[in-house]
Amino acid sequence: MNFAVLLPILIPIISGFIVGLSKPAYNRRNTIVISTTIINLFLVVYIVLFKTNTLFHMVKINELLNLYLMPDNIGKTFAILVSALWIFTTFYSIDYMGKGDGLNKFFMFYLITEGVTLGIAFSGNLITLYLFYELLTLSTFPLVIEKGSEEALRAGKKYLIYSFFGATMVLFGIILLFSQTQNLSFVPGGVVGILVYDNKNLYLMVYLLLFLGFGVKAALVPFHSWLPSAMVAPTPVSALLHAVAVVKSGIFALGRMTYFVLGWRVIDFTGGNRYTLILVLLTILMGSFLAIHQENLKRRLAYSTISQLGYVMLALVIFEDSAYVGGFLHMLFHATVKITLFFCVGAIMHYEKKTELSEIAGIGKRMPKTMISFSVASFCLIGIPPTNGFVSKWFLAIGGLDQGNYLIPIILLLSAFFTAAYLIPVISTAFFKGDPSKEVEVSEPKNFMLVPIILLAAINIILGFFPNWLINTIQATANKLF
Amino acid sequence: MTNYIPIINILILILFSFVMMLFKDKKKIKYISIGSNLVVFLLSIFLMVYSISREVITLSIGNPNNLLGIEFYIGKSESVVTLVFTFVMLMILWFSNFALEKEVPENRISFFYVLINILLASLLGVIYSNDLFNSYVFIEVSTLSACGIIILKDKKENIKATVKYLIMSTIGSGLVLMAIAYIYSITGHLNISLIHETIVGNYQYHENAVLIILGLFTIGLGIKSAVFPLHSWLPDAHSSAPTPASAALSALVIKVYVFMLMKVLFRMFNYEIVNSFIIMDIILLLGSMGMIFGSIMAIMQKELKRMVAYSSVAQMGYIVFGIGLGTVTGTAIAIYHIIGHAVTKSSLFLISGLFIEKTGSKKIEDLKGIGREMPLTLGLFTLGAFSMVGIPILPGFISKWYLSLTCIEVGRVPLILIILASSLLNVLYYFPIVINGYFGNDNLDGKVYNSKKVEFIRILPIVLLVLAMMIIGGISFNLIELFNI
Amino acid sequence: MDVFITNYYETGAVILFGIGFATLMLHRNLIKKIIGLNIMDTAVFLFFIAKGYIFGKDAPIIVDKFKGVDSYVNPVPSALMLTGIVVAVTTTAFALALTIKLYQHYGTVDLEDILKMRGDQND
Repeated sequence: MNFAVLLPILIPIISGFIVGLSKPAYNRRNTIVISTTIINLFLVVYIVLFKTNTLFHMVKINELLNLYLMPDNIGKTFAILVSALWIFTTFYSIDYMGKGDGLNKFFMFYLITEGVTLGIAFSGNLITLYLFYELLTLSTFPLVIEKGSEEALRAGKKYLIYSFFGATMVLFGIILLFSQTQNLSFVPGGVVGILVYDNKNLYLMVYLLLFLGFGVKAALVPFHSWLPSAMVAPTPVSALLHAVAVVKSGIFALGRMTYFVLGWRVIDFTGGNRYTLILVLLTILMGSFLAIHQENLKRRLAYSTISQLGYVMLALVIFEDSAYVGGFLHMLFHATVKITLFFCVGAIMHYEKKTELSEIAGIGKRMPKTMISFSVASFCLIGIPPTNGFVSKWFLAIGGLDQGNYLIPIILLLSAFFTAAYLIPVISTAFFKGDPSKEVEVSEPKNFMLVPIILLAAINIILGFFPNWLINTIQATANKLF
Repeated sequence: MTNYIPIINILILILFSFVMMLFKDKKKIKYISIGSNLVVFLLSIFLMVYSISREVITLSIGNPNNLLGIEFYIGKSESVVTLVFTFVMLMILWFSNFALEKEVPENRISFFYVLINILLASLLGVIYSNDLFNSYVFIEVSTLSACGIIILKDKKENIKATVKYLIMSTIGSGLVLMAIAYIYSITGHLNISLIHETIVGNYQYHENAVLIILGLFTIGLGIKSAVFPLHSWLPDAHSSAPTPASAALSALVIKVYVFMLMKVLFRMFNYEIVNSFIIMDIILLLGSMGMIFGSIMAIMQKELKRMVAYSSVAQMGYIVFGIGLGTVTGTAIAIYHIIGHAVTKSSLFLISGLFIEKTGSKKIEDLKGIGREMPLTLGLFTLGAFSMVGIPILPGFISKWYLSLTCIEVGRVPLILIILASSLLNVLYYFPIVINGYFGNDNLDGKVYNSKKVEFIRILPIVLLVLAMMIIGGISFNLIELFNI
Repeated sequence: MDVFITNYYETGAVILFGIGFATLMLHRNLIKKIIGLNIMDTAVFLFFIAKGYIFGKDAPIIVDKFKGVDSYVNPVPSALMLTGIVVAVTTTAFALALTIKLYQHYGTVDLEDILKMRGDQND
């Protein structure tokens, strides 16, 4: 029954096509979409619990085009994250998207994207991952340009060009790597090993190409500018793009590349991480610095994402096990936190038609539950103890110190300060600005929207209090790698 | 008996083309044409199955000791190429059965079928023939019949394009004939295998002559196959011709001459000899330039068919690039790209024809929103575009991948950048059509779903071509192994 | 220099080829281009046939009695060129027919002028 591994990828894609081609009515469509995502979560959980080291060959054309799936611990964690958050987003977007005509197409690509993202999670080698990575670009593109306006099309094209540019660099790297190793499978510690002594510069080039190439999706500065532009997408899509699907796939691919294909010892030997470290630190600072200047709430969150992704990428350039744990935790935490923030902003946009910071004065009274959830998520992101953001940043800082690099904790602190600087104003404007004497009618979003928001906020708090089981799981993989 | 299939193929096609001329009824002519092509296709399947288990099939005609007679030489790659070509031609005929009336004057339709039969016969002749002069004659026949199917439309621009094509390709065949004269004067043979035997030991005494021969063949056949700086005739000819003709020209005709060039370079001479001349570097350079500039010029086009035609120039670049690498694998990929591109480009041209027929406009900008009106057709176009761009598993990706690996093998890593740059450029001209076709409110406003739907029987040949494309992608490894000799 | 004089057939053929090629490339007039084409083809025929000819030997036709293999020239090039001439004539005829068509549509046989004109504006 190794075939089961394929199911979570196949089912959303198939039911996506069903939705897209049979054009069901509103209720029927919702039933299909919701049940697909829920079934998928169960399938993923089943795989996580009962499938260890299963290998499923999809196609084997030759040594190179040998597409197979092999869920390991990291892939499984990512898959759980993806399929769980997808459910929240499904409920949220059913309310958010309304009852328009062209939504069957939207939900078609929405479901396909889930399948493709799970494909990335379960890929067993770099070429399979690359295939899904390309498909991800193609399947998310229609979501980005859902609005269909001139601006959306322009943003979509930008996204497409950046992504293909990145994918091309990745392909170049893969070609070079394959010509040397003839093996692209994921092995803890990498497949290169001692081969690196033959041709150090070539491997340096491979590393830089792969890092920059995958970095495009992970919004690495200077390839980040597609991400704020892609904010024209509907909020659930932005939330997904940012929290889970696209950027995290980029990060996930980077992690695979760093620890499972090249191997950190190889990268350390070539010295490539010294160059990428600079870019990563730049990403952290620039993202949060630019976020402060954004009036538009969604753009503010977009730049914040860039900065937070920098934290995660930090774990991929300083090779310390505590940094690895911190980075991995931050990848998960940022996903839940950022999706909460986006959902809140989306709720404001949807119900109050307000998009700018200056417009939301006093909205905390109108939508108290939403804004409290927003505040909770904000504190998590800033990293105030005992929230989950604090835990992951703590591990990252320790990793930096282990390396003897005092710059890293300083930059982390500085960026935490910036994070506060761009999130606190939102909260204070919402709660404390505006006319306090005016009576405001409370008008929360409908349950379809509100429940996911509150649940996610609760998850953030719980994860902050009880991160130990996660830390232990990740520590276990880290021990294998280091 | 199977040995005789090649000559039977050619004879069937030519004889039936003459039979067709006896009939007045267009329907009968169509049936004869499709029937004869079907027979040839089936025989080609048989031939391929037969040839895979053997090294080489040779067939001497006229004189058994092949000193004077004409010889056919069918290796594995020849038989596979034949199969793909006959398949593509059959699909094109099927398509033209429904489409030709809309483009070509009534009284000329029968000419199309006659000329297509002669064209395919001569293309197969060039592929099979192991005799240089015989190849030359077949090349001329194919050029004339190709000119014939361009001019069927009888518009000003067609005549102009045909004249340009005719003049360019007669220069080409003049050069090829001169090269044949040179090689005959050195070796006294016209049979490629015999020339090979003679020249391998002696080429160092005739270095200049060999250089001239290689140069003449490269330029002569290069003009005919639209290798980059010599391509100026192609966009006019391929874009003005009736759609089925464009598909045949772009998918099959230009490929045959490159195939002939490969025969000359690697079977008449061998890798060792050609690699010792500068000509291989020039071929590589031409290929690289074609890949880049062909795509850049395709981006600048405003008419759909011209864009697709320029994309052919770029794709010829890949084939020539593979040849220019001067290794067995390089050649195998070139042959693979020939068949991969044959199915892809023919389907793209046929789809463009459908778009133009339904929208009534040749312009790319008028294709906005076509995805709502013709969803299936644009879907097929998208798949073809994916192959061109290089989405994994489709043939375009396979060619690029192996070309890159071969680049590393021969130690020319920077060339990979050209391959990748070219595939990025492909994105820039194929994707806007797909995006504007399927998405965008401005584009979709006022378009009625499926309003310009084409009957399924008309799309079926395109569907089959796209399926063939996927199969060719799927069995790429076996194919390249097969060509790797 | 001697090489050129001893092989005067070949030299002549190559010069002729050059003339034909230049005419084909440089002239704007279509008729002249076609003439250039013919010159070029003729040059190749000359070259080929010169290769088969050996001074003092007969054409390979047996008159009265067989004189032995050594006393005849090689017939293959002549035979080939017969086909070559046929091909050349066909191409020329086709090209001339096209030229007439072109003249009917554009009113000129100057290729540069024709290429400058836009295609069918009326359709």
